[in-house]
Amino acid sequence: MWGQPPSAVRSGTARLSAMLLTLAITSIILAALSPIATFAQNPVPVKVTEDLPPGSMQAKATTSCLECHEARIILQQRLSKGAWAKEVDKMVKWGAVVDANDRDALIDYLSTNFSPDRPLYEPPRTWIGKTAEKAPSTSSAAGKSK
Amino acid sequence: MNSRRDFLKQMSGAAMMIGAAPLLISRAVPVPQSGTIEIPGEDGMIVRSFRFLDLETPVEYLNTWLTPVPHFFVRNHMHEPSQLDPDGWRLTVGGEVDKPLTLTLSELAKLESHSIVNTLECAGNGRALQRPQVPGIQWGKGAVSTARFSGPRLRDVLQRAGIKPTGKHVMFRGLDEIPGKVPPFIRSIPIEKALDADTLIATHMNGAPLTKHHGFPARALVPGWIGAASCKWLTEIKVLESEFAGNFMSPGYRFPNQPVQPGDTVKPEDTHPLTALNVKSVISGPLDGASLKAGKIAVQGAAWAGEASIVKVEVSTDGGARWNPVSLGREQAHYAWRLWTYDWRAKGGDYTILSRATDSQGRTQPAIAAWNPSGYLYNAVDQVKIHVA
Repeated sequence: MWGQPPSAVRSGTARLSAMLLTLAITSIILAALSPIATFAQNPVPVKVTEDLPPGSMQAKATTSCLECHEARIILQQRLSKGAWAKEVDKMVKWGAVVDANDRDALIDYLSTNFSPDRPLYEPPRTWIGKTAEKAPSTSSAAGKSK
Repeated sequence: MNSRRDFLKQMSGAAMMIGAAPLLISRAVPVPQSGTIEIPGEDGMIVRSFRFLDLETPVEYLNTWLTPVPHFFVRNHMHEPSQLDPDGWRLTVGGEVDKPLTLTLSELAKLESHSIVNTLECAGNGRALQRPQVPGIQWGKGAVSTARFSGPRLRDVLQRAGIKPTGKHVMFRGLDEIPGKVPPFIRSIPIEKALDADTLIATHMNGAPLTKHHGFPARALVPGWIGAASCKWLTEIKVLESEFAGNFMSPGYRFPNQPVQPGDTVKPEDTHPLTALNVKSVISGPLDGASLKAGKIAVQGAAWAGEASIVKVEVSTDGGARWNPVSLGREQAHYAWRLWTYDWRAKGGDYTILSRATDSQGRTQPAIAAWNPSGYLYNAVDQVKIHVA
């Protein structure tokens, strides 16, 4: 039910009301049960932070990398194996805990999943709230700043 | 320091809060395939990273002279300060000065305030468009925005402390929280730029106090320069004898002295620190991939040039064979972008629309940007492909 497309939502007032009520109840229950933040406001839910892709190094990469930053910073990179090796070594210098025996496997995992030939990562957007579309006045000091 | 446990606790709280928020499912908002995330005060922004927070302004929002704060791009290198108490906040001024100072926020507010409309752009804006790709936040076209920043001049504070003749650079340190053994985000600017009448300790943005994501309660505002110069959550100013030695001055935020071949490595000694922004334009509409009806189509966008001024913007609707002058917007300020519009009467067909800016220093956007290993200052001619029926 989280993945209802907008067209289904718009198909009738009665169905919309029923769906909103169900969504509201479900969202409150889910929020109470789970620390994973998915957002009921949107027809397409998305986790606040992403996961790394499956693979034998998924768990170790999660521990080593995601202590300091979320997975999207990795998911959006498209780098050669040599460039990934440099990144891993830099991050180890900056405090990432990677067992020396795991270094090569971690570089393989990253360069296999995030190589230049992979399709680009498509990022989510922030939800549009009440503050949107209010452009500040530009009349007062235009041209006077210097 | 903010521990992982604290962070998870905060996230759990955020999830609870959001789960109980009113449902607004019927709002007519274009929802991208990959979904949306609620970040209060940040509207319709592209989430390059949630933790730490990096939000890009979609190009369609680059269409107002002043960018509303909810659409103003956010670039964090570290985690935001977990505690920001305006009463407890202090700004220290030390180093090569006669009288080291400590200022409270109310003391800062008593100093004469100045306003500067400034286009702030991340040095890495457009990094994702470089080939071969390079590591870093994969900014598209929108790590750039414009606001009116207000606050005391940095030089008024520095002169109150008295700069010694040995003081040649000014270092800024913010309150961002540093994970692991990551080097702190500390940078410096030369004393000449620090003493410029337009360099501020900004406390306000578009007439309102800075929001947390933009550096509350005070940030440096170094106009016309790369965004990284304008340190957020400012808490320490230190006058130094030489440029600050740290990761974000070298090897970070440096540019090759000579053009390099794409993919080449560059030695640190063959680079210089980034300062002012490049000449650049971006098309805010029509959007890439749009299908439009034949007839009058307004091609519009923004153009900026750091410390220089935009003198012309040209648009091509035939992939670069012919270039047409645009109308520049009325609103202008030294360090602010110019909005521009080209009224085009379009017939049916597939088009590649290009925009190209030229500035007062004689710089023109190149067809291909100068590739560099960190993807800085990307400024190739902008382009969108559209279909007209």
